[in-house]
Amino acid sequence: MLEPMMYVGGAYKHSQLIELVEDLGGYILQKNIMQSEVVLLMLVPINDIPMVETKSKELLGKLTRAPLTGSEIATVAPTLAYHHLPHLDCDVAEFLRKQGAKTNMVGLARGVGKRICQLTAFERDLINEHDVAVFILGNYEHCIIEKSKKLYEGIEIPIVVTGAPELKTEDVPNATAYVGSFGRILHHLRHAEELRTLDKLAQVIGKVLDDVRVEIAKDPPSVAPPRIKKEIEENIAEIIDNLHPLPITLQMNGVRVKLPYEEYHEQIENIKFVEGVTMKEVARVLPSKMRNFILIKALPKSETGFSI
Amino acid sequence: MEQLETFIVECPDVTGAKTTRSLILDTLSDLSLSRVIERLKVYMDPVEPVFIFAALLRLGSPSIKIKDFAKVDMGALGKDEVKIEVEKEMFTIKLLNKLWAKYGKENIEQPDRKVIIVKTDPIKDLDMLRELVVEEPQQEVLDRLIDAIALRIIPEGFRVRKHELSTTHVLFVASEDTLKPEWLAKGQEILESLRREENA
Repeated sequence: MLEPMMYVGGAYKHSQLIELVEDLGGYILQKNIMQSEVVLLMLVPINDIPMVETKSKELLGKLTRAPLTGSEIATVAPTLAYHHLPHLDCDVAEFLRKQGAKTNMVGLARGVGKRICQLTAFERDLINEHDVAVFILGNYEHCIIEKSKKLYEGIEIPIVVTGAPELKTEDVPNATAYVGSFGRILHHLRHAEELRTLDKLAQVIGKVLDDVRVEIAKDPPSVAPPRIKKEIEENIAEIIDNLHPLPITLQMNGVRVKLPYEEYHEQIENIKFVEGVTMKEVARVLPSKMRNFILIKALPKSETGFSI
Repeated sequence: MEQLETFIVECPDVTGAKTTRSLILDTLSDLSLSRVIERLKVYMDPVEPVFIFAALLRLGSPSIKIKDFAKVDMGALGKDEVKIEVEKEMFTIKLLNKLWAKYGKENIEQPDRKVIIVKTDPIKDLDMLRELVVEEPQQEVLDRLIDAIALRIIPEGFRVRKHELSTTHVLFVASEDTLKPEWLAKGQEILESLRREENA
């Protein structure tokens, strides 16, 4: 079992920590160097965390659990109009990104109104490719409840809803979790109170993702998503020159590869692991709804009978 | 002059009213409109659903014409030109832009900081140029106001709308469903109450 962790510390000697994590069988997912500071997002084997902690103390850095690491989250706004953007939606997406998640913003075509709101089939499929969907709704209790009754139709991933009133999750139909004190805010979220609300949202999403992890652990994937990422990085040279943000985006039970499906899917399917199996035996390589990218979903152990 | 002498948001949903209030304040300050609105009353009922926005306005100065800040005369004798002598340089840039758009850059000369020569028939264009509107502060403010109310404040789903707009007041009634006559009447009533307050 791998634990998502975040290390924040000085750039000096941070490579020692990277080496330690890699030697322990963990994965470095992201490395951001900002001037003299470095932020590492990594997956560490749960039993070896004390060792990594000791090392990070030695380097005078800070090691925290970052439950959002390695997940892809869709932040969904009813439309891409002034009513929702740039504030709030971007603030939420940015904040979750700082916590280690990869966020994609989705603006619906006809998501407005409590009676007239709709979700198109394409939007539904696109949102379903993520791990969690965060719906950023407005000010009024009645509207949030009415809208929730039908807007999330067909969405199979956990749904986190935000809005102004303080509601209980049970009161919001079809929602996995609800976070209040948001609403339609047209200024940059920077007051202490607002930042605390964002913290709460990250915490709630972390909890939702932890539940997903528990669910996945019951029937673990045949190959861990970070392993898929590592193999693609080693086997497909073009990924290095790819200019998309996070060319290989980790998800809870797969990865999104930002390369054209038609050209690369066979190459990826035929990647051979040292254990002797090929990618197509342990994962499904599918065309993604996002542009012409590739979506890889790891097969569960119950289906393949083994895990590597 | 106080900013926003009356500012009431009426809504059965208390949290909703509070957030609506803050979003109106944010929008008005974003578009620097807080000095334009004198009294403002919003009625919102998400269950019906209806959104009424009524405000009394305090618009700035009326439109500015060339004759208000410059002397417009015939140019040199025997030439087809009009001479504009600018007295307040503040408007020169806007004036030049207007003239360039109208006559083309090749027909406008500026031999001196405060002198602009327009190559055109003075007999035909002199009076027209005197009356040419260079700046319309009121219209600009109204444009911004419409942007604020229609595109930012009224909930997006409320697409059925009726509005009244003049230089002294603005009234928007919006809903997701067909507008009911009683909502329109309520809008008028709110506007009247604002007027009564002002006259009191």
